[in-house]
Amino acid sequence: MDLSVRGPHPVLSVDTLCVNYGMRPVLTGLDLTIDPGEIFGLLGPNGAGKTTLIRTICDRIQPASGKILIEGRDHSQRQALRKIGLVPQEIALYPHLTARENLIVFARLAGLSHAQALDALDYAIEACKLTHQVDDYVHTLSGGWKRRATLAAAILHRPSLLILDEPTVGVDIDARNALHEVIKNLSADGHAVLLATHDMDQAEVLCGSVGFLRDGALAPVGNPLQLLHTAFADRHEVLVRLREPASPEACQALSDLGFSRDGNGLERRQLLKVTAAQQTRLTKMLEASPLRIKEVRFRKPGLDSLFLKLKAEKHTI
Amino acid sequence: MIAALLKVMILGLVRDRGALAMTFLLPPLIFMIFAAIFSGVSGDEMRLKIALVDNAQTDESAQLVAALREEPSLRIYRGQLNDDDSLRRAVSLGEVDVGLYIQGSLISDTDTIPILIIADAGRAMAGSILSGHVQRLIARKMPGVTLHRLVPTIETLSGGLTDAQRARLNASIQAMNQGNEDASDEEESSDGTLVAIDTLDIRGGSSAVSYYAGAIAIMFLLLSAMQGAATLIEERTSGIVDRLAVGSAGVDVVVIAKFLFLTLQGVFQVALIFLLAWFIYSVSFPGRFGLWMLTTVLAASAAAGLGLSMAAACSTKQQANTIAGFLVLIVSAIGGSMVPRFMMPPWLQDIGWYTPNAWAIEAYQGLLWRDADFQALLPSLWPLLLVGIISLAAALLLSRYRLKLG
Repeated sequence: MDLSVRGPHPVLSVDTLCVNYGMRPVLTGLDLTIDPGEIFGLLGPNGAGKTTLIRTICDRIQPASGKILIEGRDHSQRQALRKIGLVPQEIALYPHLTARENLIVFARLAGLSHAQALDALDYAIEACKLTHQVDDYVHTLSGGWKRRATLAAAILHRPSLLILDEPTVGVDIDARNALHEVIKNLSADGHAVLLATHDMDQAEVLCGSVGFLRDGALAPVGNPLQLLHTAFADRHEVLVRLREPASPEACQALSDLGFSRDGNGLERRQLLKVTAAQQTRLTKMLEASPLRIKEVRFRKPGLDSLFLKLKAEKHTI
Repeated sequence: MIAALLKVMILGLVRDRGALAMTFLLPPLIFMIFAAIFSGVSGDEMRLKIALVDNAQTDESAQLVAALREEPSLRIYRGQLNDDDSLRRAVSLGEVDVGLYIQGSLISDTDTIPILIIADAGRAMAGSILSGHVQRLIARKMPGVTLHRLVPTIETLSGGLTDAQRARLNASIQAMNQGNEDASDEEESSDGTLVAIDTLDIRGGSSAVSYYAGAIAIMFLLLSAMQGAATLIEERTSGIVDRLAVGSAGVDVVVIAKFLFLTLQGVFQVALIFLLAWFIYSVSFPGRFGLWMLTTVLAASAAAGLGLSMAAACSTKQQANTIAGFLVLIVSAIGGSMVPRFMMPPWLQDIGWYTPNAWAIEAYQGLLWRDADFQALLPSLWPLLLVGIISLAAALLLSRYRLKLG
């Protein structure tokens, strides 16, 4: 079934959403629209309100104000909620059942008849490439396969909106890349995807648009490449990684050169518009310095750079 | 090094309030309950509830009734009972622990035994205890009665009394009965003709086995329901409930399905206990299968509802396990699953009515021991039904509330 052919409404439409925890505002006028086939990356630090937004969309939390529509229907209607397929952070499966048994149980709980459930099972196994593991007990599967199975359980009823909450936590690189493929394919099938993640590389690779959740609202929002271009234009990021913490004098020298300090004190970075020749000269200069340098890297800034930039801006305001 | 690990263990215990309560609160609490029960068995706390019918209506019988009413270790049934049959009914229905029927004059010369104690075979011990009380009271407060009943024996042994001897003896007996309450501190135990015990054995088989079949059944219903219901917490923490909450099913279906499963599991569990009781001890439940099934379904659903509401109220499985262990042990001890309630002091018997154990045991005893019909079982069945409905509703509401809390 091609889900991309839908009605005139976006799959998810959130309009000036405000949510409070007691007296504390968590979301303050958040707007968000996701269209069929779109993968939207919801980014933000811990405690920014990503889980609150997901729970509010799923009608678990009553908003103070604002409107949430799923395919044009108010999200509190059972019919609207049925359009959601939720993949929680945890492996939301019965460990003592096989993947196949789990999928049939969740298909029936999604309201499908036995025949429809068997049909949906084939679709989900195929979509998540689970064919060889489907008869294994869930507790015997590796982290990556468990993640695929939990994703499969969420798409059995062909939801229009797939909400993925940190779907690759605790899986290795290969499993992560395989899951990326599955998510891309689901998006190509027409599922709209809301992806809450800390993994900036994942968001950059997968998402057609991303939004940074800060101070209860999404800003900035846009295509990752466009956001990066707007923030950094054609500047490069120079990353200097030290073997040991620098002396106070060396710190001052790096600071004078325009390098800012990162979390653990072993990394310094700055944005520069440099040619290849200038890159070579800067590298030689740094290597000749008394600093014990492990790595000097020039790279195009990514979403993690934008994340740090936004964080720094917030602290300087 | 050992000190460091000791510190870890101590901090773990101190910071886990459930474990702390289980370790230091539960043992003294259970001890207090059992101490209260067994101090009653050997001391003054066991206060039998007795019903009295005085058919003789003589001065002596009135004196005995008054003495029984004043006896602190007995509680007198206040209902209106007029004859032997109504007394037997009250005993067989369990309204009283034991009955006392004064069927003739205490000093008559007939062969009729004047005092008949009517006890249920399920509480046969209560008959012996009351018999002891009656003989002690007669010996202490009415020594003339004992003496009077010995006159024929004395006459036979001495070859007959003269009129003068008989007149003096009667005067002495009169005087002893009227005033000399402290005449003897020794219990009269040799007079087997004064008191007889009639034990009601309606169905045959062992009453104790039918009692404990019901008592153990409800205890294990509660234990396994609490354990099974804890999977609700697993499903909540594993994200399964999150997933279902947005689907067609909603969270209610999870609770209702578990309720049905635990009830069904409970029915099979209880059936196994009663099958054994049937095969080995002739507790004949298939003969009353319909009412047995109704009682079992209600008891199992009450246990399932209680287990689920407890699981819905608890945040973690560890918390649920601790509270479940605590609750099941306490209600089983108070409710009569460990020791029959009639052996408990009255205040503990009163508290016992707030446990499902007491109602379930009462229903099974009524059904299998007293041959009670549906009408007679109703007072024991509706509390179980009510507990099942209220606790299921509480489990549903608490689960919805937890879902909203996240």
